[in-house]
Amino acid sequence: MLDNHLNFINLEKNPVILFPVRHHSPVCSYHLRRLIRDYQPEIILIEGPENANALIPTLTDEKTQLPAAIYYFYKDKKKYVSEDAEDYHCYYPFLYASPEYQAMQQAKKLQIPAKFIDLPYSEILIHTRAAKGLRTEQDQHNYADDSYLVRSRFYERLCEKTNLRNFEEFWEKYFEIAGLRLSTPEFWHQMYTYCSLTRQSTPEEELKADGCLAREQHMAYRIQETMQDYRKILVVTGGFHTPGLEKLLNLKIKPVKLHKFSEDIQNCYPIAYSYEAADALRGYASGMMHPGFYDGISCDLEKLENQDSDNLTIYRSHALELIAKTAKESTKKDIMLSIADMTSAFSLTENLASLRNSPEPGIFEVYDGVTGAFIKGEKTLASSLPLDLLEKIATGSGIGHIGGTSHVPPLITDFENQCRKFRIKASTAVPQECEISLFTSEKDLEKSRFFHRMQFLQTEFCKRLKGADLHRNKDRNRVRELWRYCRNPQTDAVLVDHTTDGATLETACHCVAVRQIRINRRCDVVAGICVDCFLMGIALSEQDYQLIEEILTNDGDFFSLGQGLYYFDMLCQLRDLYHFTDPGNFKYLEQCYSKLIALLPSMSAVQPEQAEDCVKICKLLYSISERILSSRQEEFKSALITLTQRQQKEAAVYGAVMGLLYAMDGSYLEQAESAMQGYLNGSAGLRKQGALYLRGLFETARDIALTDRKFLCMADELLSGMDYPDFMEILPSLRLAFRYFTPFEIQQIAGEIAKLHEMQSGEDLLEVQGIDEELVLFGSELDTEICRILRKNNRDNRSN
Amino acid sequence: MKQNLIKPPVEIRYLEQLAFLKACDAENKKPENWKLSPRAVRMFILGGTAVRPDTKEKMQIQKKFFGNDALVERCIITLAGNRGLMLVGEPGTAKTMLSELLSAAICGRSTNTVQGTAGTTEDMIKYSWNYALLLSKGPCRDALVPAPLLIGMEEGIFARFEEITRTPAEIQDSLISVMSDQILNIPELGDDGFVFAKPGFNIIGTANTRDKGVNEMSGALKRRFNFETVSPVRDVRLEKEIILKEACDLAKNGAIDCEIDTDVAELLAVTYHELREGITSEGTMIEKPAAVMSTAEAVAVYFQTICQAWYYGNGRVELPVLTENLLGAVCKENRDDLEKLKSYFHTAVKAKSTKFGGIWQEYYKTASFLK
Repeated sequence: MLDNHLNFINLEKNPVILFPVRHHSPVCSYHLRRLIRDYQPEIILIEGPENANALIPTLTDEKTQLPAAIYYFYKDKKKYVSEDAEDYHCYYPFLYASPEYQAMQQAKKLQIPAKFIDLPYSEILIHTRAAKGLRTEQDQHNYADDSYLVRSRFYERLCEKTNLRNFEEFWEKYFEIAGLRLSTPEFWHQMYTYCSLTRQSTPEEELKADGCLAREQHMAYRIQETMQDYRKILVVTGGFHTPGLEKLLNLKIKPVKLHKFSEDIQNCYPIAYSYEAADALRGYASGMMHPGFYDGISCDLEKLENQDSDNLTIYRSHALELIAKTAKESTKKDIMLSIADMTSAFSLTENLASLRNSPEPGIFEVYDGVTGAFIKGEKTLASSLPLDLLEKIATGSGIGHIGGTSHVPPLITDFENQCRKFRIKASTAVPQECEISLFTSEKDLEKSRFFHRMQFLQTEFCKRLKGADLHRNKDRNRVRELWRYCRNPQTDAVLVDHTTDGATLETACHCVAVRQIRINRRCDVVAGICVDCFLMGIALSEQDYQLIEEILTNDGDFFSLGQGLYYFDMLCQLRDLYHFTDPGNFKYLEQCYSKLIALLPSMSAVQPEQAEDCVKICKLLYSISERILSSRQEEFKSALITLTQRQQKEAAVYGAVMGLLYAMDGSYLEQAESAMQGYLNGSAGLRKQGALYLRGLFETARDIALTDRKFLCMADELLSGMDYPDFMEILPSLRLAFRYFTPFEIQQIAGEIAKLHEMQSGEDLLEVQGIDEELVLFGSELDTEICRILRKNNRDNRSN
Repeated sequence: MKQNLIKPPVEIRYLEQLAFLKACDAENKKPENWKLSPRAVRMFILGGTAVRPDTKEKMQIQKKFFGNDALVERCIITLAGNRGLMLVGEPGTAKTMLSELLSAAICGRSTNTVQGTAGTTEDMIKYSWNYALLLSKGPCRDALVPAPLLIGMEEGIFARFEEITRTPAEIQDSLISVMSDQILNIPELGDDGFVFAKPGFNIIGTANTRDKGVNEMSGALKRRFNFETVSPVRDVRLEKEIILKEACDLAKNGAIDCEIDTDVAELLAVTYHELREGITSEGTMIEKPAAVMSTAEAVAVYFQTICQAWYYGNGRVELPVLTENLLGAVCKENRDDLEKLKSYFHTAVKAKSTKFGGIWQEYYKTASFLK
């Protein structure tokens, strides 16, 4: 059967050569280069969505560094794919080891055209059934999917038969390593046979559901179209498609009907990609495992070709290099490894290859060598660290770079410029940390704003580990921020998604912020976005002010406005510190203040579970009326009075309001006392509410308990007159009521109460003995010592 | 001879296979003093079809060690180098069997062994004296009684050290100088007392992870070994095959001609697998017993059941007997294990009896024997 196919590789006669490849395979790239050299095609057609043809010059630009990817997106607004009208996106990654990249590169060298011939991304989706192919539920979709090759029933039998652990080991031994010792036609035959057998074991129905048949029809059509203009055509596709295309090329193919979409509906961009994302171990089913290792081999193979040198020991030298790097990294992690260990690991690696009839050791032999020689003792999660390090090194940590700027989205260019400006490492996949002293220099503040912008756009580029959290009012005293950052393909993809939002990070963030404001028409959410803008150093426009004012006007939720007031107050306080003034914030503060005062009287009968929040807002209003809006204090007082005059009053809120009135005007003491008296003289139910009243009162005017003995008497009377079950019921409220006092003040109050009961103050009081300071220090030292010993033992165990 | 031994050594049990592999092995490269080449050793342990190059005669070699082929390959290559091989793992994971297979295939002898215990002394490892000869002739070679280490060095074969971590640390450390310098000095013999190791000498140790910390190996000794962790078989199908194979071999040796019931073997494999992993195939979490739930234990339970059927029953495996034997194997040290086993029956076995019926239903009925 194979003899019939020999003409496909007959370099003299055939106008079309179909070259089957596995994506990211060094040996496929190696033979492809040789084939191109010998065949000298007039055009190279490559499997890839054809709407990215314009990006080929960018990908092959001298300044472009791999890994890079084409990022495709399609917005199914017209519901061609499904009724859900979802947005879709996927990546088409390229490494130096990718035959598709080599095809483009060689075409550039020969100055011949290279073209993608697959269906556009949108059409692939349209021809794919739900939950199949590129429409499966997963985080990252990759166009270059080899899953047919690696997951077929056929390969399972092969692994069993050849005593190999998995497909990757099989592939490495029989294709990557053995393939280097074959001539290009021999390699072609081996690939073709494997792919044909794999295809035979895949049902037609599955191919149809995945959109595979429609894609092949389109590719075959494009090839036939090209055959009219060119005589020597080279077609580079995933090996699985080769037998299918071969069959179709003998027929007259009808074109697949294509839809027309505007650029905002369907487009693609080149983006930087990472080795980590290209690793099959991390869920990228279409890639090969250990892309860093194989990419290194691919680059060296090309160098050796250029020098016309022998490549038959390339895997051996890379295995040795990998072992040495693993030993070095392990030593850094306190795993003591000697030269003897490295020698033993390498000897194991080489001899295992020989035992397994492999001409050279591959990555799996390196794993075996490291397992045998570097892991001392039982293989556990902890002792397997050298294997983890090996995996990390073999995966690679590099990030690509897109050279030509013509197709790079301006947002990515701005991101890269900012990284350069702030000396942020954007070319590694290893997470980095950056500490920023916020208020020492303008540049540090700008750097912080850059990180906040990247976080706001949800690029997964950075995460704040330490620093003031203005949203949650936590760690406000911190003057430094600690950020962890790492560029990954997601970062670039998200920036591409925001391309239509603006050309710079600043404009994109502004656009997103305004969009969010439009969607979330609540004061608290809008104020939260204003906090984001403050941290990002983004000033809103006049139009935005109007929009926010409109939202504040229409928001009638007391609590939403209260939260908004808190944020705007904070932003007004911090404006000098952060060197950022947005005149809108003060206006919003005033607007919230006015609305809250208007709504305040209606809060008299608030639900008990909202009472605490209501009291907090009242306190904030009081504080603002004291600090900023003193001219409007009377308005606030009048609102408070109106509230007290309401029939139904929530006890805690009532207490707090009485406290605030007392704070503003001492004459309200009497009214506060009489209110308390009212609770005392009431029914059992009302008496219980007395505790809540006290809680509210003490929250806003705790000095009342220290200065007015009458209040203590009433509190005492309240508690003494209560049954045990009622007392137990109000105990939690009482505890909360007294939380505002310092220990010294509680001692003072207890003394006063003791006197009421004719006890001698001081000695008769029940006291919990405080813990001796010495004891605390001793405990702390003990903790430190135990930690030190545990760490030491752990180190010793590892070194053994 | 084979029939008169309870457990014949590997080199006798597989005499024919070893001889055949040797005959096939003429063209393969092998380290000095090895009886078989690394490739032939691999085939002996992991199975395959051996073909004699001269007569083209074939022999099917059955697989003897299941679970991790790459581990066996690493062991073989390690032994060809200058480091010892230390097999560590849970009890009943066939460490000793692997060590015997390697020794028998490579050296033709698996009996040059030191069994490590708390009472093991240096004499038992290196050499001791025939005191009658010592008194009459003084210290001389005739009066020397070589122990496995010395035998291994002189003959260029492996010395096996079983359960090394049960031996006191200072005794373990007596191996260090021998492994480093490949030389053993017997001071009593003066200038003649230096014994140099012949090519082919090496040490295979085994250590049980449950003994970890009893006599922890020193860092210096660890450095002289390559470690291989032998894990329990994770595949139920494979475990069932092992149970069947081992039980058949044991029955054959004991002249028990009892029918082997594959369904019961599967049942037992599933029970052991689920109790060891703490989760059933349906995803229900179950409590793991403290007892060792190894494949070797499962084989013992199955063989015991066959014996009872052969001697007391009608030759057919009875499930109540199996459950009773399982009880004896699981509830050895800890009374709580009985409750865990009961709970396993009332959750996992019950669920399977409803789902699959048949033998699982019968198995569930035997839960009343768990007392």
